[in-house]
Amino acid sequence: MAVEAKLSHTAAMILQAIHTGQVYGFSVMERTGLPSGTVYPAMRRMERDGLILSKWENQSIADAEQRPPRKYYRLTRAGKAMLEALYKRYPLLEKLIPSAEVENA
Amino acid sequence: MIGCGPMQSAALCRLMLRSASALVPGKDRAEWLAEWQAELWQVLRSQREFRNEAADDGASLPSPIAFCLGAFQDAWWLRQNNPRVAAPPLLRHGSPAMCLLSLAGWAAAALMLALYLPAAREAIVPPPYPAAGNLVLISPGGASTSPMPEIRLADYRSWQTNTRALFTHLAYYQPSMKRVHIAPHRAAELSIVRASADLFDMLKIPSFALRTQDAQPMQGLLLSESAWREYFDGDPAIAGRVVEVAGHLVRIAGVLPQDRWRLPGRADAWMVADEPQMDSLSPSSKGFVLAAIRPSGFPGGASGRHWMTVYRANGESEKFECVSLAEQTRQPFSIYLFTLFIAFLALPATTPLPLGEYPARAERLGWGVRIRRWLFLAAKLTLILPLVYFASIDLAYGNIASGLHPIGPVSSQYLQLASSFFGLLFAFRWALRDQRGRCPVCLRLLTNPARVGEASRNFLAWNGTELICAGGHGLLHIPEIPTSWFSTQRWLYLDPSWSSLFSDTYIAPAGVL
Repeated sequence: MAVEAKLSHTAAMILQAIHTGQVYGFSVMERTGLPSGTVYPAMRRMERDGLILSKWENQSIADAEQRPPRKYYRLTRAGKAMLEALYKRYPLLEKLIPSAEVENA
Repeated sequence: MIGCGPMQSAALCRLMLRSASALVPGKDRAEWLAEWQAELWQVLRSQREFRNEAADDGASLPSPIAFCLGAFQDAWWLRQNNPRVAAPPLLRHGSPAMCLLSLAGWAAAALMLALYLPAAREAIVPPPYPAAGNLVLISPGGASTSPMPEIRLADYRSWQTNTRALFTHLAYYQPSMKRVHIAPHRAAELSIVRASADLFDMLKIPSFALRTQDAQPMQGLLLSESAWREYFDGDPAIAGRVVEVAGHLVRIAGVLPQDRWRLPGRADAWMVADEPQMDSLSPSSKGFVLAAIRPSGFPGGASGRHWMTVYRANGESEKFECVSLAEQTRQPFSIYLFTLFIAFLALPATTPLPLGEYPARAERLGWGVRIRRWLFLAAKLTLILPLVYFASIDLAYGNIASGLHPIGPVSSQYLQLASSFFGLLFAFRWALRDQRGRCPVCLRLLTNPARVGEASRNFLAWNGTELICAGGHGLLHIPEIPTSWFSTQRWLYLDPSWSSLFSDTYIAPAGVL
């Protein structure tokens, strides 16, 4: 069954930002330019709907970099399918926030 | 935050995060706080780097405080979407408690607004004069609400001697626009009230007629609070300053608080007119007359509205209305009571009064449930009364409708009449319609409207809308076209065997509610 793209453009931007690589909340804000009050609740909703997954990084990595551990987000399979459907709805999405592979190319 | 150093800013941000975490459900709170604190660390570090690099390319970073404000939205979202901390059943959307709380909130907001707006406050708060019931304003018959001066000075003079049986004191005042030199090269047109000395004694305002601080006595000027703020920038050392009013030097005696002047006529400042000044006025010049009535003067009592007949030298008589200051304050409420009566009369013309057909099931529904329905309707109607009253006062006297520009008292009364009548009519109509759209058992709003039947098949059948109680208490059938066998909406109770079909956790047993 085809995935129905029901996310708003803002949510699509956040999903695309998460797709760009290993990201945490503030980096999504930096990439999308959206305020924290929009980004974090949107990510909670996506996590609840099974589009993204979160994972705390290892304490040792954080200690090595002398900072608190970050909570990273990544797309699930359903999230990737949703993003593919969203590209059809918002064709410029990829150009707005290029993914890591495109950037490095 | 302006003027906040990085250290204080960080401490404030942490405090904000801790405060926001109180909204997060307890089980998720520690992890939520850890994530936001880690994110805040990133924000603060980015800020430092941004500052050190002294970026001048126009880019900007979110301030840490703006960033932390988002934590409240995030925490609130988590709270709203967590089934463990869902709103208690009574406060859910459509619940009777929510309805009553909303009405009470709106009524309180309307009251607060009425107390905040000076003109509206004057309409509901009794006058601050100790003998407001004994003080009457005399005006020609039918002109008691006129903001314009209507009494000739010659009449006032004759009443001083002829009406001793009616009044113990009489005072005269006359507002007029005067040019006031506030400071060198600065002048303004102010409405100066010149009044006989009796006026301030009757209103219990301390005497300020003459200021004798200097060797040469100088007449005193009392400023209104609004004029003091507008023309003298609220100068706290204003008392004693000398200003020029229409060519005469006067000394400012003080500032009269905003609520202390409740008489008609705009007043930016007051001056006491001594006898020579009163004599210099033309007998035909018009002003306002305030009188203290003698308790035995009017058979109707010491308050309210009285009539005085004056016989002229040519044999003609003229009637004057004497309205007490207390009565003037009661006028908005009297108008409201009148519109309440008219609204009750007009209500049946806008909506049917019956609440629908409810089958009698004494064995299932306790008396408490039945009475609760009526108590809920009574509570709604009771809350509507102050809500509409204060809202109409805000609209009519608070000058909201006119964009805070003062309108005349007569226009205000008409505006109150219209707003109060239509407000009450539509609020009562809403209360009845809302009551018809609620479950008679749990009083929640019915949901899931569905079309039932066909318009072409009305013979011994019906077509219309069916609504359902989310608690599983029953169905409401509303016919689209009333027929002789289905004329009004009808409630159908569902027995408890249906309850397994309803996922809503708020299934209240009929006997409990």
